[in-house]
Amino acid sequence: METIEFIIGKYNYWVYIILMMIGFYAMIGKRNLVKKLMGMNIFQWAIILYYVSIASKKGGATIPIIQNGHGEVTHAIEAAQYLNPLPHVLMLTAIVVGVSTTGVALALIIMIYRRFHTLEEDEIIDMLRATKK
Amino acid sequence: MKSLAFIVTVITGVLLIYATADFPDWGDPSSPASLHVSPRYIEKTVEETGVPNMVTSVLADYRGYDTLFETTVIFTAGITAVMLIRRPRK
Repeated sequence: METIEFIIGKYNYWVYIILMMIGFYAMIGKRNLVKKLMGMNIFQWAIILYYVSIASKKGGATIPIIQNGHGEVTHAIEAAQYLNPLPHVLMLTAIVVGVSTTGVALALIIMIYRRFHTLEEDEIIDMLRATKK
Repeated sequence: MKSLAFIVTVITGVLLIYATADFPDWGDPSSPASLHVSPRYIEKTVEETGVPNMVTSVLADYRGYDTLFETTVIFTAGITAVMLIRRPRK
């Protein structure tokens, strides 16, 4: 019984760790630059999903919008009624930074392709060595 | 080289999964993340900002400068992409 409870309590972290390791392997193991960039994006999204999962609260908590919150709010607001809003906000910021880095990386990849006519990292390194000698 | 990358990945993943044993359960209402800073924002947000949506109030009011200079990040990224792609070809 205890093992089942342990698995139910933690399996969300394991899903994100598996996703993160897929991205990590793509970043360090693949040779194609576009595949590396896709790995970086998967890694980022694993971290973002992990933070969003931190925000959840079981036991009747709803989305972080105050119910009947317009105008004069007289009823008491309890923290256990609403999900934690801070991870959502911080991940909104992280998504913006991720989009910016992806855009700059894609532009760099286009420039690398124009110069070397390939995106395989080992071929690019061979060409750079050949021009040096 | 690829097998080395795979071994490094597996070792890192096993270490991270081993570390989750110390984490709070998923959705636990008494986890440290939902007990320490966030209750203050949830309880005071309507009183201080008048916005019922807490994500909006934190994003645009408490962290307004962060969001303002977030646009600088996007602007810099856009300018960088344009400068990289529109270089004159030799």
